[in-house]
Amino acid sequence: MTEKEIIDQITALVIRELQKNKNTLQKHEKIEQRSDAPKLPAKLVEQGTSADNDKSVSTLEEQKAAITVKDPKDISVLQQMKKLTPARVCVGKAGPRLRTSTSLALRADHAAARDAVMRDVDEKVLEKMDLFSVQTLCSSRNEHLTRPDLGRQFSKETLDLIKSKCKPNPKVQVYVSDGLSSQAVDANCADILPALFDGLKNFGIEAGTPFFVKFGRCPSEDVISETLGAEVVCLLIGERPGLATANSMSAYIAYKATVGMSESRRTVVSNIHKGGTPAIEAGAHIAELIKVILERKASGVELQR
Amino acid sequence: METILSIGIDIGTSTTSMVMSRFLFENTASHFTIPRISIIEKRVMYRSKIYLTPFRSDGLIDIEKLKEILSVEYKNAGITPKDIETGAVIITGESSRKENAKLVTETMSMLAGDFVVASAGPDLESIIAGKGSGAYQFSIDNNCAVVNLDIGGGTTNIAAFKSGEITAKGCFNIGGRLITYNNEQRVTYISPSIKPIIEDIGIDIRSGTKITEENIVKICDTMAEVLVQAVTNNNKNHLAFVGADLYSLMETKESACFKQESMPDYICFSGGVAEAIYNPDIDPYQYNDIGIFLARSISKSRLCKDFNIYQAKETIRATVIGAGSYTTRVSGSTISFSESMIFPLKNLPAFVVGESIEKECMEGISDSYKKECKWFMEQTNAEKIIFCFRKVKNPSYNEVCNIAKVVSEAASCNLEENIPLLVLTEDDFAKSLGQILHRFIGNMRKIVCIDGIKVDSNDYVDIGKPLMNGIAIPVVVKTLIYG
Repeated sequence: MTEKEIIDQITALVIRELQKNKNTLQKHEKIEQRSDAPKLPAKLVEQGTSADNDKSVSTLEEQKAAITVKDPKDISVLQQMKKLTPARVCVGKAGPRLRTSTSLALRADHAAARDAVMRDVDEKVLEKMDLFSVQTLCSSRNEHLTRPDLGRQFSKETLDLIKSKCKPNPKVQVYVSDGLSSQAVDANCADILPALFDGLKNFGIEAGTPFFVKFGRCPSEDVISETLGAEVVCLLIGERPGLATANSMSAYIAYKATVGMSESRRTVVSNIHKGGTPAIEAGAHIAELIKVILERKASGVELQR
Repeated sequence: METILSIGIDIGTSTTSMVMSRFLFENTASHFTIPRISIIEKRVMYRSKIYLTPFRSDGLIDIEKLKEILSVEYKNAGITPKDIETGAVIITGESSRKENAKLVTETMSMLAGDFVVASAGPDLESIIAGKGSGAYQFSIDNNCAVVNLDIGGGTTNIAAFKSGEITAKGCFNIGGRLITYNNEQRVTYISPSIKPIIEDIGIDIRSGTKITEENIVKICDTMAEVLVQAVTNNNKNHLAFVGADLYSLMETKESACFKQESMPDYICFSGGVAEAIYNPDIDPYQYNDIGIFLARSISKSRLCKDFNIYQAKETIRATVIGAGSYTTRVSGSTISFSESMIFPLKNLPAFVVGESIEKECMEGISDSYKKECKWFMEQTNAEKIIFCFRKVKNPSYNEVCNIAKVVSEAASCNLEENIPLLVLTEDDFAKSLGQILHRFIGNMRKIVCIDGIKVDSNDYVDIGKPLMNGIAIPVVVKTLIYG
């Protein structure tokens, strides 16, 4: 083959793959994660992605899924690697630094993580789930972040309000708090709460009245448990966001929690989000966990024995 | 940690063998997340002798002899069927075409242990053999494409793996015992499945005639050429010399068409004939069949010249090891069942619908789902079926409620009273689905919901006894295709 023929062939191939690539992207598929994805030279993937830049959210996701190493020796190895982790691997570099697109994606995720902490929970979500709202002793977001001790305390008026609105002495008291990610509450509430209450109902476990705590920290559940006289308390709280997801929620469950008790008495189910444990499965799982905790009359490390 | 014993029994065209493996299960998740039970180790504990598959004078498989073999081997291994918690009996090659094949596997699976399942089907065998030979794991470890050819007495089972994914499977009527002869080298048996090759090359070989090396080599060369064509798909760098007609005549009827998208990086041979491919210096007449001639033809074919060879970890035992070690999977660890007494459940036909109908289920539309269910029940003529959802990903609570509603409706229309409602999902939502189903149908039926398992249409599902305090459950997905 002459050089010209080779160049012609490559050009035709590039155009065809670009076309294919564009179509794939329009269907919102992450082409790098498909095992049957055509083996594209990395450069094409990069171009294909930027060609579809206008849809901001999905594009960021797609960009993170793309392999942008230039001229990889064997792209299938990189694809395997990508499948194993949501971390930013196989992104190549510009000199000693990240490329502009990687760097921007990183900053966008960092901004999203900050937003998840700084913003409030969507009122509509609370309304829809029929949760009334109370606040810890923290008066602002800034105080919430800098004074963890206040995030576990309530005023007397607040506690009286909770008492007046909630069923006393429930078998299990479930409530929700923003913690360090309001976004996690928005993302998971509508799935985890009904799944959890369904499960409890199936087991014949009577649950108390759920509500929402603004500026809450995990040990706030000790106060709530004591105040309402709950046998088991279960707090669904937003986790500190990372750069992989800002939607992650945890459940902290304790048997007969008391203020000042040891942290080892809490049973934790973490990583509740789309990419981890789906909210509905977590809800169903937590219901069963609560059943076991009630049977064994223990939580945390004691439960593991 | 928990261990269970698994048995594999392979009843092949020419040989029958058994292996016993120990699986080690462990919760590999941290204390702070929901559990994740995985099989962390599989160890082969006992290998039986290789027996010639016993046949009766009427050509059927001799069940009584097989029972004897099993009981002797159990005794040698020092175990009883009670110790066996999972496993599979697979009937393969020409044996699966015998009239009593179904009875044989069912009897053997019952005798072997409580949850030892019967399985048959050329494509399943191909995959099992490829896993047993080590080709599957090699493709993962080396991130490459491997084609495994399991060449037995009656069939050659081909499976292609790419980085641990099955990319193609198929089966050909090519094997070492399709022609046998006595010590005077007079033909005693010619399988009907090899007739197309004999006709194609136009030689005269019949029962009673004396074989000549020249004729045997011709036949074996053609058989090898069919395999070359299968692996290369007539890629223009690897043109094979077999006509399309002959090629399709040699494909095993019930098998898939073997077609890969690209050439493999490695080829691996397993099965009885493979032993002679790796060790060519043995007397070709010693087994009174054409196996070693076939091995020699394959060694000089382009399969061995044009490709890298990965030497199989197991050759003649690949299928039986695959059956013992690679058929049992473990479900996801958030599952739901109303009673553990109902296990094991065996031979459940997988009721699979298309993506669009699954979408309708998520929206709560039940008409076409119920219709398909009715049709499926009629087709399979089964009392129990397992409802499978494959494409539903990350469903919301409402969507799961809708699916529960549709499934419970389909169940009440089509299942007899007291038949348990069994559901399998690929994505992780079985536990909540189970709880919602319970709300819909209460105690009218027992409910089992498991997830994390892939199934295809025409598959059958077996469910064993729950593991690790009921967190997860062993599952076998298989085919039941008797020739």
